[in-house]
Amino acid sequence: MNLPGFVIRNAFRNKRRFALSVSSVAASLFLLVMLQVALRELTNPINDEGSSLRIIVRNKVSLAQPLPARQLQRLDKIPGIVTVSPFSFYGGLYKGDEKFTSFAQFAVDPKRTLPLLSDAKIPKEQLAAWIADQTSCIVGQMTADRYGLKIGDRMQFTGQIYPCDLDLKIAGFYHGTADDRNLMFHQKYLDELLGDPGTVGTWWVLAASVAEAPLVTERINQAFANSSAEVRAESERAFVLGFVSMWANIKTLIGGISIVVIFALLLVTVSTMSMAIRERFRELAILKAIGFRRRELFAFILAESFGLAMCGAVLGAGGAWVVFHSLDIQKLSNGLFVMFEVTPRLMGLAFSVAALLGVVAAIAPMFTVARTSVVEGLKTLD
Amino acid sequence: MAETIVKIRELTKLYAQGEIQVTALDRIALDIAAGEFLALMGPSGSGKSTLLHIIAGVDRPTSGECLVQGVDVTKLNESELADWRNQNVGFVFQTFNLIPVLTAFENVELPLLLTQLGRAQRRKQVEAALDLVGLADRMHHLPKQLSGGQEQRVAIARALVTDPKLVVADEPTGNLDSHSAHEVLGILQSLSQQAGKTVIMVTHDPKAAAFGSRSIHLEKGELTR
Repeated sequence: MNLPGFVIRNAFRNKRRFALSVSSVAASLFLLVMLQVALRELTNPINDEGSSLRIIVRNKVSLAQPLPARQLQRLDKIPGIVTVSPFSFYGGLYKGDEKFTSFAQFAVDPKRTLPLLSDAKIPKEQLAAWIADQTSCIVGQMTADRYGLKIGDRMQFTGQIYPCDLDLKIAGFYHGTADDRNLMFHQKYLDELLGDPGTVGTWWVLAASVAEAPLVTERINQAFANSSAEVRAESERAFVLGFVSMWANIKTLIGGISIVVIFALLLVTVSTMSMAIRERFRELAILKAIGFRRRELFAFILAESFGLAMCGAVLGAGGAWVVFHSLDIQKLSNGLFVMFEVTPRLMGLAFSVAALLGVVAAIAPMFTVARTSVVEGLKTLD
Repeated sequence: MAETIVKIRELTKLYAQGEIQVTALDRIALDIAAGEFLALMGPSGSGKSTLLHIIAGVDRPTSGECLVQGVDVTKLNESELADWRNQNVGFVFQTFNLIPVLTAFENVELPLLLTQLGRAQRRKQVEAALDLVGLADRMHHLPKQLSGGQEQRVAIARALVTDPKLVVADEPTGNLDSHSAHEVLGILQSLSQQAGKTVIMVTHDPKAAAFGSRSIHLEKGELTR
């Protein structure tokens, strides 16, 4: 036997309590990881190179206010811009969906949009078919899989924002973007259905370089300053964060729940460790009597508490990683979550919380052991 | 004349019970020779366990001197006392106090984990100690698989495994039937007579005290005879 072996034997002496305690820690950490993953998914915009180059231009008054289509000519002349495309959120209800359609539909200019979606992979013939047919669309692979769509199928949408319905033919499927759910169709088709109102929802702009993107943003804002339709140009990241901020205090809510979870976790661990040490108070006095020093007893308590918390972390955070990697979260969440990725940072967070709890939970029993003399401990023997 | 292993002078222990001060030991003077089997007798509350605890280095006196093998244990700090106890004192308690999740072998091995001994040397010493108390065939049993007498013999093996000069036993037969008590007392006696260990035993029982080479009586914190 060695000292680590002794610690392990002690930890497993009450197997039922150990299993229940580890399960409590695991369940709490699973919940914590799930909340943090959800929060990350809801609030953390994509931040790749393509995203850094993309600039979204919207009406300065509000996102709901359209922009004049004539702004395109002016935008085309601004230095540092590679391409500009309208990007109008249609927001229709797909046939078969009763209340909520989980994928967005955007009216775009196909030719101008392609450079903006540099990471999208789509077969050439499908791309050509989409460009050629004004009533066609391309659909993200996730949505295609979800609805079992095939090329040539027709998709009907009921307008929820615009006073018109869509009848689109699928020309192709794309994948490889950060969100392979969206549907894209021709802005011209939407204009035609609406009687050519001469407006678009937003402009999506591709800057020539990451370094030039802030300058381009500034130039766009200045170009339309004091016009009848002033714009607000911002990076894609800033745009998405602004969008998320409209969800009120979701961060505060999830943060609050996470703190409650951690607090409950702390109570469970402290309670378990206190019980375990109280049960063994006589034995600890005997160990002291036969020559174990305080620091060795502290190490036993700390190791046991830390071990318990870490077992919970392996089961809880590790379980979350396994579950969220193996389940189709998009399907389960009806499209609300796409990636639901348990990142190394979140795993690190869960293990750090567990480690901290393991240490904190050991403090009270260690203090009790330090405070009690051998004789006081031995007196409990009689 | 045998060497004096324990030398106590003017040893006083006062306890505070609320606002009342209780004298547990009152200027005790005592010499214990090496190899002696001393029975400490007296009624409950007479101070015999307190005296035993001070000699064994688990309690501190209010004043006075307690030299064990020439070391004044009252002057050692917590950490030094722990090391000193590990190397010099073997403890036997009334309620055995074996660790329930460890086998007899592992319980006896426990004090050796604090030493620099290797696994093989530890094994050798543990087997020798268990053999000495007649439990070589029970070394892989858990405490719950042993009788009370066997548990106490394992506890004695644990007390002996570091080869201390001094063995202290606090009512070692208090929880045993007469047959087991006789066995345990016989072992303690042979430790004194054959192995040359100094054994100090607290007991109420005159029959148990009769196994000792000397008995002393404490009453109200004073040595009476």
